[in-house]
Amino acid sequence: MDKLRILHMYPAMLDLYGDSGNVEILSYRCRMRGIETEVVKHDLGDKDTDFSGVDIVYLGGGADFEQQLLADDLLGLKDNIRKAYENGVYFLMICGGYQLMGQYYKDSNGKKIPGLGLFDYYTVASTNKRERCIGNIVVETTLGDKKYKVIGFENHGGQTTNVKTPFGKVLAGNGNEFASSVEGYTEKNVTATYLHGPLLSKNPRLADYIISYCMTRKTGQPYKPEQINDKLEAECRKVLLERLLKK
Amino acid sequence: MSIKNTLTIWFGKFMVKALHLLGRDAGNAPGLILWEMNKDCLKAFKVDCPIIAVTGTNGKTSVTNYLNHIFESTGKKIITNKQGNNLDTGITSLLLQNCDMKGRVKADYLVLEIDESHVPVIFSKMKLETLVLLNFFRDQLDRNGEVETLILKVKKFLETFEGNVVLNADDPNVSRLGLANPKNKNIFYFSVEKYAGATEKPYEVGEGKFCPRCGEELKYDYYQYSHVGKFRCPKCGFGDVKPYVTAKNVKLDVPSIEFEGEEYKISHNSIYYVYNLSAVYAAASLYNFDKKVLHETFEKFEVNNGRLEKFNVDGSSLLVNLAKNPVGANMTLRVMNEHKGEKELLFVLNDNLADGHDVSWIWDINFSVFNDVTRVVTSGTRAYDIAIRIKCSGYDPDKIVVKPELDDAMVEFFKNKGDKYAIANYTAIQPTRAAIKRYKAKVKEGRENG
Repeated sequence: MDKLRILHMYPAMLDLYGDSGNVEILSYRCRMRGIETEVVKHDLGDKDTDFSGVDIVYLGGGADFEQQLLADDLLGLKDNIRKAYENGVYFLMICGGYQLMGQYYKDSNGKKIPGLGLFDYYTVASTNKRERCIGNIVVETTLGDKKYKVIGFENHGGQTTNVKTPFGKVLAGNGNEFASSVEGYTEKNVTATYLHGPLLSKNPRLADYIISYCMTRKTGQPYKPEQINDKLEAECRKVLLERLLKK
Repeated sequence: MSIKNTLTIWFGKFMVKALHLLGRDAGNAPGLILWEMNKDCLKAFKVDCPIIAVTGTNGKTSVTNYLNHIFESTGKKIITNKQGNNLDTGITSLLLQNCDMKGRVKADYLVLEIDESHVPVIFSKMKLETLVLLNFFRDQLDRNGEVETLILKVKKFLETFEGNVVLNADDPNVSRLGLANPKNKNIFYFSVEKYAGATEKPYEVGEGKFCPRCGEELKYDYYQYSHVGKFRCPKCGFGDVKPYVTAKNVKLDVPSIEFEGEEYKISHNSIYYVYNLSAVYAAASLYNFDKKVLHETFEKFEVNNGRLEKFNVDGSSLLVNLAKNPVGANMTLRVMNEHKGEKELLFVLNDNLADGHDVSWIWDINFSVFNDVTRVVTSGTRAYDIAIRIKCSGYDPDKIVVKPELDDAMVEFFKNKGDKYAIANYTAIQPTRAAIKRYKAKVKEGRENG
């Protein structure tokens, strides 16, 4: 049986807004296709986290307080993470996880938290804690060569700029900055986004895209996931897109 | 009284009267308008009696109703916001309806439930005697911000507060507030002894894993539910407090608990409810109530109103509980899973303003244990979201029926007779109760018409 290994970074600290649900959904959708998943965790202070053989690195969102606490630990993993990224491991990062992989994050108290510097973007939060991008959001992204509408919920004070290859075009909501036209950051093996929901719950094709990428990379054969019962997801998307894209 | 205050009261009273003449319930509106006109409008009222306030994420309404019942049982005149309305504007409306033209509020006690974020603004303008703090969980994050922000707000208020503070010793987020004002000697902790369902590892998502004083990871002997349990900071000793009141011998199968060597029969079998009663017991103890009143209240009093409310519908027995956040939902699921035999679940999920537009909190609910649940019906504006959540926990999607309209959901839910559980979030709870009652009436009517 095929097996995918997911490295869940700081699950106890980066787990705001049900973000850990993304790992649950990836595991669920793999299980339905007869793919086993193993979720390994890296917690603050872990010294012997094994990055080899990892297929997906996952980081969720966290509060400012938690991001500060883990910044040093994350910097200590810089070489491991860069190597995994260069080897084509898939990186899925939400909100705080997205911010921490950039150059830096300046929080709402003006405190600068250094990022891992894997990507060029950087994030500055308004010092007015009330100024946040909050609400339902729809982003149009491209998966392979197909356009796909991604539905989620954004809630961030941070404004992310210097994004060269955004995840998608904003159809409703704010995106990387207030009233931005673009959202998130992407590469062939990277999805970084502000979308909670959790992200994969209402966007099964994005989940399957990640699974296909990982399986193809692992086996060397093009992988096509078989269709599973997604009636609930299809109905949910229909209802929400109708509601959110109504002008 | 200053002219401004006199006018504030007169205008407010006029609004309440006018609304009554129109046959409307005053509700929040007069308070809202008064706050727009005068940010200090609360100062226009003269409240000479003691004020007791209850706050925290879960259980405010229940604890307030219990305290109110206890005070009233001894013949005291109480003014209370039984139905919620726990923001600054709601409290203003409440006082307007209960004051004379000079703004005098006549009562023996004010027993108020107050939204966590409104404690500082309300009690900077009125003198508070006792604050009861139940718990802090993640709740409606898009409305309230992160839990930490909320705790710091209450902490700031407590730094200069010298009245009674009743605190949950077993919730690190609450317990830490006992340190807010080192000069305040009136800190009273309540605690609950380890119960049979306590676990060594956390069973549900929680907050407050790190010591608020030194940042070290907290060590737990056991978890009662969520992050509530016996904890201690291995580095600085945070958590080592001496409770004023401890509920002992928690027997959920009876159900009963023990305070100060006396056994109390209670009416629900949930640990979460035992914590509420411990808060009630601690607060009531500050006011020296006859133990007889407490026995009677704990055994017989029911809040209903969608809080562990029981219904009999067409041969089915149903327990309905409000859940605004994962911890609330997990509590109902615990009660459901502990009940032996097959059952069905209804989950009503809305995403209106008062719920928070973000429904991702449902992914923090632990659906991994689902003992003998034969069918799930979902309803509300986000009926599909909760259906997907339950499906991805491994439940057969063919056993989930989605009916966004409540009346349709009721027909579906009561199709089979048996034991049933319903969870509804904030704006869903009253419409759900109403739909249950409509369904009951329809069944009765159908029977009478033959």
